[in-house]
Amino acid sequence: MSKNNSPIEAAAICHHCGLPAAAASACDGLVAGELKHFCCSGCLAVCRVIHDSGLAGFYQRLRSQEKTLAPPPESPADMEQYDLPEVQQGFVRDLPDGRKEAHLLVEGIHCAACVWLIEKALAGLQGVVRAEVNLARQRLWLQWDPAQVSLSAVIRRLALLGYAATPFDQENAEGQMQRYNRRLLFRMGFAGFGAMNIMWISIALYAGSFSGIETEYKQFFHWVGFAIATPVLLYSGGLFLASAWRGLKLRHLTMDLPIAIGASVTYGYSLWRTLQGTGEVYFDTVVTFIFIILVGRYLEAMAKRNASSATLRLMELQPRMATRIIESGEERVSVRKLVPGDRLLVRPGDKLPADGRVLSGDSHVDESMLSGESYPQHKIAGSRVSAGTVNGEGVLTVAVEQIGSGTVLSRIIHLVEVAQGSKAKVQRLADRIVPWFVAATLLLALLTFGYWLRQDFDTALLVATAVLIITCPCALGLSTPMAVAVAAGAAARQGVLIRNGEALEGLSTVDHVVFDKTGTLTEGRMRVSRIYAVADVNENDLLRYAGAVERNFSHPLARAIVQEAERRGLGFAGTVQVQALAGMGVGGLVDGVQVWLGNARLMTQQGIALPAELAARQQQIENGMGVAVLLAAGGRVLGILCVEDRVREGARELVDLLRGQGIGVTLLTGDSRRAAEQLRQRLGEMHVAAEVMPEDKSREIAALQQQGRRVLMVGDGVNDAPALALADVSIAMGSGTDVSMECSDVVLMGSELRKVPYAIEVGRLTLRTIRQNLMLSLVYNAILVPVAMAAWVTPVFAAIAMPLSSLLVIGNAVLIRYRMNRFFSRQPEVVYQQRLQGGYST
Amino acid sequence: MSVIYGLIPGMILLGLVSVLIFFWAVRAGQYDDLEGPAHRILNDDDIDDHGSDEP
Repeated sequence: MSKNNSPIEAAAICHHCGLPAAAASACDGLVAGELKHFCCSGCLAVCRVIHDSGLAGFYQRLRSQEKTLAPPPESPADMEQYDLPEVQQGFVRDLPDGRKEAHLLVEGIHCAACVWLIEKALAGLQGVVRAEVNLARQRLWLQWDPAQVSLSAVIRRLALLGYAATPFDQENAEGQMQRYNRRLLFRMGFAGFGAMNIMWISIALYAGSFSGIETEYKQFFHWVGFAIATPVLLYSGGLFLASAWRGLKLRHLTMDLPIAIGASVTYGYSLWRTLQGTGEVYFDTVVTFIFIILVGRYLEAMAKRNASSATLRLMELQPRMATRIIESGEERVSVRKLVPGDRLLVRPGDKLPADGRVLSGDSHVDESMLSGESYPQHKIAGSRVSAGTVNGEGVLTVAVEQIGSGTVLSRIIHLVEVAQGSKAKVQRLADRIVPWFVAATLLLALLTFGYWLRQDFDTALLVATAVLIITCPCALGLSTPMAVAVAAGAAARQGVLIRNGEALEGLSTVDHVVFDKTGTLTEGRMRVSRIYAVADVNENDLLRYAGAVERNFSHPLARAIVQEAERRGLGFAGTVQVQALAGMGVGGLVDGVQVWLGNARLMTQQGIALPAELAARQQQIENGMGVAVLLAAGGRVLGILCVEDRVREGARELVDLLRGQGIGVTLLTGDSRRAAEQLRQRLGEMHVAAEVMPEDKSREIAALQQQGRRVLMVGDGVNDAPALALADVSIAMGSGTDVSMECSDVVLMGSELRKVPYAIEVGRLTLRTIRQNLMLSLVYNAILVPVAMAAWVTPVFAAIAMPLSSLLVIGNAVLIRYRMNRFFSRQPEVVYQQRLQGGYST
Repeated sequence: MSVIYGLIPGMILLGLVSVLIFFWAVRAGQYDDLEGPAHRILNDDDIDDHGSDEP
């Protein structure tokens, strides 16, 4: 069968999010009297709310920025819990005038139009005093009057507009990071002020050295330079001095040491000359040097989007309130107050508050976040349930067995924490070279001093200092931050978010890639992919019957069938006597005809014969990755609907590409071995680890690492989080959970698999550039150090040569963007097209 | 020429004032979001909001 069998038709564009509205979930709807296309019913609902609120200008703003949104994320369940004082104490600050203040993480902010929409919509809400959106970090800063509006009302309003908001403890999550960034910014700003002012002094001194200057004024300028350089060295440069001193005490040579030596030796020499009142001073070098290094550091810190911690996001998965059954009825209590043995009522759509055992009830529970299992699990009396999973259609009574740190969710949180702590840090190339560089510089300076000491002490000190100054650690110190900042910026424009600079260097050395299955290599969503009807029946008639029955159910299979019927614009007949037979299927009377939908067991039970041709089809589907839903009407099987989670576009090309580069590939999944083997047959040779519990995923990674592999993990789910955190480098899919993104070094915004080799290539390119930069600064030193040792360096010569090396390094880093564009405008497409033209079939 | 004895400290003093303003700006959170405000200023309320129904 060829790939083109998929039910994708002419590309329509979703009116809300601008993505293709051709997938199985696409639907049409009337908005403001016009028929528009949408990629899913979520987008339709959001669009209606936006129009009804008179905020339609959002779409004009959106289009003017040529951005696309993503379909709205699922909104958090049980919002009322955020109004309870005991829940609020974690993240809400009381302002003196009785108002309250909180920071919210908002999922779904894509561009400035979203900022406008949120701020405008909240401004219209009575009682909201202040609502400010931070676009770069996707935060909302909210101040409100609790007497007029509740926090849950604000969150619900956001949910209607398609944004999922969760309050969080900002100080705890990112206070430290923010303080560090601010400290860096203060110091950079101060050094910038120093650099600008000392430049004038330098110009005056240079002009003076060419056209003559009175000693009195020269002295004065020297002292002014001293006055500016001293605070810059102590305040702005204090960051390096302190860190170099710490490094020395730990006998650990870091990049900060040559920077500290360079700055303080230059400063000390200049001060000595100033006191003596003769010779040239280099205060300007000290100041500019510190300024440029701080700019590099700041850019690097900006490229790092390490905002909230992954464990924080994990905690959010657990509901904060539960419904406890007591003798007089039921009561709402905080999850913290639950004790083992409590009986809880779990309504349809609720999250389970604790681990436990079902006492009564019959329902399906979505455990995909914990197990990676794509189907909801059937739960009856006696089944085990886990905190954080989502109840399906029925009401459950659950006896609490584990709470707090004993739950499966808490164990995952713990695993993530352990993995993050034990993660092998990518050793930066510069960090490996620096100790040698520092040692060589100091040795050469000493040798020089010893040699010239035979002449006289003054000359010896002067020349040795010149060696230390001319080695210019500036270029060395800038080589890495500049390359990382430029590469991260260029990659972000391609939808690849680099959250961690070290990861870029790590990506280039990856030799084994581990993929999660559901949601990563597959789309993670059930769809009707093929319909087989018997000879005299039309596909649409089949689907009309199926849709009429299935729209009474919320099982993923049912939803997939209904969506496909809606996508084809089929109307539904009325259905009566709808019934579900556990483990077999569903049935109902459609227009007076008895319709059954389900597996072969259902047909046998109903005494309906399955024709041989369809039986063969059914076998074929079930040997594949799909589920075969048989449809019988009027006592006769009319056909089969094949429902499956499709393999993502480009998955096979990706596996081929990686293997072609000699990179090992592993498929890691909680699904059954059979399902995993099926995927392997489609994607080509790879190692398969199936039926892996979430707790064991990280163990698989650790095993590979022990074999000396450098592992890249690509995943999307909560159950992947420990593995993502432990791998040398990790990539999360943008369509995945927030937890997986927080654990990862790189996030693919568009969830396109072909961005995986792109990310690896960006890493290689960055490392190559860093290497070139280091070479440049070493070559510079190889030429100039002998010159300095021979005492041939004149002030003018030094003034020209030193900035030159920094400029070369910065220029080379900026070139990354052009190299990347040049490389990627041909490379991946060529490879992909060749493969596609090769015309293999699955 | 002796005027520079007054002018240069004056220049540095002015520079220090701008540093103080910068520090204030950082503290006030002006540098927290470098992307949003650039777009926000373009989002005036004068785009026709579909039939001009008031929000």
